[in-house]
Amino acid sequence: MLKLDQVSKIYQRGEATIAGLDRVTLDVATGDFCAFVGPSGCGKSTLLNLIAGLDRPSAGEIVLDGQSTARFTSNDWTRIRRESIGIVFQAFHLVPGLSAEENVAFPLLLRGDGRKAVQSRVEETLALVDMTHRRRHRPSELSGGEQQRVAIARAIVHQPKLILADEPTGNLDSHHGADIIELLRTLMRRFHQTVLLATHSIAAAEAADYVWTMKDGQLLTRTAREPLPIGQ
Amino acid sequence: MTPGQPLASALILAHVLERPLRALLSIVGVGLGVLASVAIGTANVEVLRSFEQTVMTVAGPATLEIVGHDLGVDEEVITAVSRLSGVASAAPLLEETLIVASGDHRGEAIQVFGLDLLTEVGARGFRIQEADRERALEGLFASDIIYVGQELAVGSNIALGSSLEVIAGGRIVRLRVGGLIEGKNGRSSLWDRVAVMDVAAAQVLFSLIGRLDRIELVTQPEQQVDEIAATVRSVIPPHLIVQRPARRTEQVENMVRSFQLNLKVLSWVGLLVGTFLIYNTMAFSVAQRRREIGIYRALGMTELRVAALFLTEGGLLGLLGGLLGGVGGIWLAQTLVSLVSRTITEIYVPIVSGHAVFLLDRQSISAVGKGIAFGMGVAMLGALAPSLEASRTITVRALAPGDYEQAQQVRGRLFMWMSLIFLTVGAFSSLMGPVAGLPVFGYLATLCVLASLACLSPLCVQALGCRIRNRKTAAATLGGTLRQVAADHASRHPGRNAVTVSALMVGLAIMIGVVVMVRSFRETVEAWVNETVMADLIVAPPTWLQGKQVGHASRALPGSLEPVLSSIEGVAAVDTYRDVQVEVQGQPVTLVSRALRVHAQQSRYLVVQGDSTATLTRAAETGGVLVSEVLANRLGLYTGEQVTITTPKGPQTVTVEGIFYDYATDGGKMVMERTRYRELWNDDRVTVFAVYLSPGAKSGQVRQALLDVLAQREERTIPPIVIRNRDLRREILEIFDRTFLLTYVLEMIAVLVAVLGIVNTLVTAVLERRREIATLQAIGASTKQVERLVLWEAVYLGLIGAVLGVIGGLALAWILIVVINKQSFGWTIRMTVPVGLLIQAVVLAVTAAWIAGYFPARWAARQPVAEGLRQE
Repeated sequence: MLKLDQVSKIYQRGEATIAGLDRVTLDVATGDFCAFVGPSGCGKSTLLNLIAGLDRPSAGEIVLDGQSTARFTSNDWTRIRRESIGIVFQAFHLVPGLSAEENVAFPLLLRGDGRKAVQSRVEETLALVDMTHRRRHRPSELSGGEQQRVAIARAIVHQPKLILADEPTGNLDSHHGADIIELLRTLMRRFHQTVLLATHSIAAAEAADYVWTMKDGQLLTRTAREPLPIGQ
Repeated sequence: MTPGQPLASALILAHVLERPLRALLSIVGVGLGVLASVAIGTANVEVLRSFEQTVMTVAGPATLEIVGHDLGVDEEVITAVSRLSGVASAAPLLEETLIVASGDHRGEAIQVFGLDLLTEVGARGFRIQEADRERALEGLFASDIIYVGQELAVGSNIALGSSLEVIAGGRIVRLRVGGLIEGKNGRSSLWDRVAVMDVAAAQVLFSLIGRLDRIELVTQPEQQVDEIAATVRSVIPPHLIVQRPARRTEQVENMVRSFQLNLKVLSWVGLLVGTFLIYNTMAFSVAQRRREIGIYRALGMTELRVAALFLTEGGLLGLLGGLLGGVGGIWLAQTLVSLVSRTITEIYVPIVSGHAVFLLDRQSISAVGKGIAFGMGVAMLGALAPSLEASRTITVRALAPGDYEQAQQVRGRLFMWMSLIFLTVGAFSSLMGPVAGLPVFGYLATLCVLASLACLSPLCVQALGCRIRNRKTAAATLGGTLRQVAADHASRHPGRNAVTVSALMVGLAIMIGVVVMVRSFRETVEAWVNETVMADLIVAPPTWLQGKQVGHASRALPGSLEPVLSSIEGVAAVDTYRDVQVEVQGQPVTLVSRALRVHAQQSRYLVVQGDSTATLTRAAETGGVLVSEVLANRLGLYTGEQVTITTPKGPQTVTVEGIFYDYATDGGKMVMERTRYRELWNDDRVTVFAVYLSPGAKSGQVRQALLDVLAQREERTIPPIVIRNRDLRREILEIFDRTFLLTYVLEMIAVLVAVLGIVNTLVTAVLERRREIATLQAIGASTKQVERLVLWEAVYLGLIGAVLGVIGGLALAWILIVVINKQSFGWTIRMTVPVGLLIQAVVLAVTAAWIAGYFPARWAARQPVAEGLRQE
């Protein structure tokens, strides 16, 4: 599903050169739930940004669904994100002016889906994240956990193959954080999606099929876990 | 300098350089506002200075002058006054205009002074360099010898000794350049740009034998000038005026005072809009550097120092903008001098603009200094509120993670009350009368209306968000969703966005106000022209359509033409129209004499009360006068009242038989029967003949017959022109349109500054929303969709600005028409609201906002997404 081959990201800060990501090679299969853990600045977010096409690698190649992304234009990446990638952010990043259901509908509207299709899809997705009763509320009227549920709904509403979750529990307490991770697991199993999770939280990482430890832009160790049965 | 000052300078400079584009935008905005005000101010001063210099240079040592306005002074007066005690010398002077008749400079006007050269060469500050020194004395008196100023000679390719074909007094004549004249002290002076002749030669050339424009008196220094003036008055005809030369300048200054003030006030609009722009820049600067301010405060910087830091930054932007605008303003003033001079010449009095070349002289330096002062004043005023806001930063909150700037809430009730208070003060101000002849309260009313609407703008911006929050159904389309996001974002910063909206509102309101006023005025004038300019053909002197010129030799036709014209087949009636400038109760007035009965039958005056025909007939019978509305207001005259006018036959008391609307001049007009005028003024000349055709007569044929008859009269004479009614009407409206050309230029500058304000706001909005925009891109928004989002915000701000601008514009138009214009010029204008024009203005504002939003939108859509997501 996803292959990274010697991918690096170099930042220039004045005279200094900083490696945000250093020759990362990775192979993720469809349906994998993979977590990346490590201290701040180790390159977790950079890795997810490169996979989502939000940033360009300085070297190496990213292959998505067997297709090299080296020559992808900005428009190609937009198309890929609309079709195949869903992103969940630490700070939720919901659009403040829109209600929960409008936030969820936004990705579908952006890709030009019809009104009826959008409506039924949004209803379904809000039901999946258990937010139907709060659909008319604006982000400022929702709790952190609720906002993240809406953000997850927005990330999966277009049924992407790949979900990138960047510290999704970072702004939540442990109880709500566990709920969110559980929700992600449930959904990925149900729709056979691939999830890449960047996190500080060991508890969150434990939910993954395997965990990559990162340091100074490099992948250090991979720890595989026994797949958990659905619902646990 | 304290140790803190270099640090403060470094901080300010770093901030300015951090966002060079925004700094540049603010500098250009302030610069444009300053440019307009400096240019108008400089041009206004230069035009009058040029006139004053002309008056004073020509007058030389003269302390008194005897003038007779258009009718001139009989040269015999000179004999009577020169022997009076206290009069050291009395010099004749004739001031006329020559038109170059051939060559590359054909059509150019040359101002020529007829002087007593034998006695005055050397006394007036110029010297002559003759072509033929041996025959110099003979040349002085020859009627075909002219002496040309050196600068004029160079500019018009006139060589010493060459001949020059010119039109003088309606005749084509060939003059010989007998010498070149130059200022005596070697510096550029008026004499370098004019021509002189001996006065006797000039009288012959212009067919003005025995007539002078004025007599200039040098009085004995030991005697009081006023006493000598009284003695002079006792020996000259009563209609002549004895005055100090400077009074002519004062009269012109008074005449054009309102015109210039209106221009000046309009030129300040750009400055006002520039204030909003700076507010915006500084408000953003404060918002962006909130954490930094927290650090300053935590390190011990006082509130005052924080405020001073931002105020100085605003002042620096103002200084640079002021410098830019000051220099630009001087450059623009060079063009405006001729434009202002032309307008003043067309509607008031002939003014020769001279050559406005601004060098590094005291005047230019002072204008640039003024520009810098304006710029800094405006900028610091705009920066004041954000600077105070910066100084009140709560340190703990500023240093804590997360946003300091929460969605702003405006104090709606307070703004509503302020709006109402401004509106009330404005309404009362509009009812007040003028102060010293100036509509001071009218301007106050204008400011109040704008302030009232500016207070409403944050409420309107906030209402945009409320409408969305209170809606019942979710947005179901992408367009709807984007609009909603845009509106929500705009409404989250009502304070700052309201300033942009206000800037656009002010620019637009003034544009609409002035356009509605001008359009209403134009339609009023058009209706007036249609109802009063009824003559089928106008027979006029050849230069009549070229506007006012110095001198009157070519501005009149002999009255003896009347029977000639009347005898032509197809001509039903001929009205003899004569207009001359006279003084009535110290006011310059255009005295019109005509065949009132003919006019009553064939045409009309738009009388304020009663019937035109009856009023005109009554005036013809009683020898009374009709006065224009402007003059009636100025002198406090009513129908039936008596007014005393000074004529060559002494003071005459006449009855005001009617008051009429007139838009030809704001100096006031008085109309009387021609026979009465001839009797009192002993003047048989006619300015134009109004020719009315018999029913069925063909205009083209009669016109040709008139031209044929007029062409046969004298050889080498430029025959009078015959103007068709529609051509005359068109010419009047063209002059009208030219008059307001400058107004449109000033408006455009104000709107341009407002557009820069929108660019500024949107750049701010985009910078603030980088994370939001990056999020949208992360969830699949394309470049175009992000652009659309930002453009919608621009359109919303533009739309609110446009709606408020239209409301303000209509209110302003009313104040301009009913209060300012009425008090400045005295004209009654019927207000018409051109709906199409209002729609155009709204479309223009929204389009301008859209265009202003385009570049920020493009920029926003092309920023690195990952970087945007990292923004806190």
